[in-house]
Amino acid sequence: MRLKQKGPAGIADDPEAFEAFYRRHFDAVTRFLARRVGDPHAVADLTAEVFLAVLDSAHTYRPGKGSEIAWLYGVTRNTLLAERRRSARELRANSRVAGRRLLESDDVARLEDRIDAESPARRAMEAMAGLPENERALMELVAVDGLSPAEAAAALGIRQGTARVRLHRARRALQRIPGVVPPLVMEGQR
Amino acid sequence: MNDTFEDRLLAALKADMAARPARATAPRRVTGRRLFAAAGVLGVAAAAAVAVPMAIGADTPAYALTKNADGSINLKIREFRDPDQVERDLAGMGVTADITYLPLGKWCGNLRITPVQGDNFSFTPEEIASKDPAVKARMRKRLESSISYKAIEPRNGITIHPEYIKPGQVVVIDVAENPVEPTVDNPGVSWQMRGMLSAGPPEPCQIVDQPGASEIGDATPPPGS
Repeated sequence: MRLKQKGPAGIADDPEAFEAFYRRHFDAVTRFLARRVGDPHAVADLTAEVFLAVLDSAHTYRPGKGSEIAWLYGVTRNTLLAERRRSARELRANSRVAGRRLLESDDVARLEDRIDAESPARRAMEAMAGLPENERALMELVAVDGLSPAEAAAALGIRQGTARVRLHRARRALQRIPGVVPPLVMEGQR
Repeated sequence: MNDTFEDRLLAALKADMAARPARATAPRRVTGRRLFAAAGVLGVAAAAAVAVPMAIGADTPAYALTKNADGSINLKIREFRDPDQVERDLAGMGVTADITYLPLGKWCGNLRITPVQGDNFSFTPEEIASKDPAVKARMRKRLESSISYKAIEPRNGITIHPEYIKPGQVVVIDVAENPVEPTVDNPGVSWQMRGMLSAGPPEPCQIVDQPGASEIGDATPPPGS
């Protein structure tokens, strides 16, 4: 099958383009989730939800407004926040694709490895827990998820100038936490 | 084929994509009118292709694969959205199957099978292009007398008759479903299916565009249907 390099905007009605997008970003999405969710089954459910959300909202992607991965992390983050608002049971009952039902024992083991591998990132996020919400969200995307400040701003739908100010504040605040050394870049997974 | 969670999730998402616009529309009235269209290639044809306009309800629940009292197996279109699951289920019933699920407008450009004995019918280009009801009836008769058609019958969804399938033969089914449910006011092809027996493992589907997939002509059923 010929794989087209097509941005998110055109993937919702083009299975080949969607497949190419999915294969490009599947790992990044599961890693992003594994940094924030400790249960492989929940990671599987959320991965399914994220790509369903991608299909639902592909038309909202604007190439000029940041990279594909920034847009995708924005979608992933919103999916995660929505999931935290609802109960997990409700999420499963309403989902069109139940991620955990597609898991076999090998997959569970792979996801557990991934979750383990992300434990330094989780520690870093714990260190940021005391920051105000808007600074923390930005700092996570930059320091833990490896987005540039401009990409993180796009993912959160805020202006780049605003992002820079918040990051500056967050870094100053973190310098005062014993044991946390800025800039806290744990990895640059892209 | 689908070995990991990544692959299985992709298959499920693609199935969801195919179902997507259909979900957005309200349930529609359904008529049972069928258009029978035979496709074949001069010399090598062993394909039974059936285009079914307006035959499937929009809100039909997913069916279970059912085994009938006479030993035949019944498959409904919605099951094809998870082709690997259908393959596994059929394997559990002793039938080796290779199922490809596509959106309408795409089609497998290659004849994926090794023809089995009893399937050596072919159509000439004149026959395929003919609008003469008598020619169509002859083509239909030839198609229906083939082993593939007997084994993979396009009736009540698809009815598989294991008694026509010899050991080692593979049931190859290509399905293209229209994501937009045709209606009486806006008729179109609901889904297309091609069912063939292969004497050995089939080739993978080479996906090609099929721009005319939704054209149903005058949708006149052939005589006797």
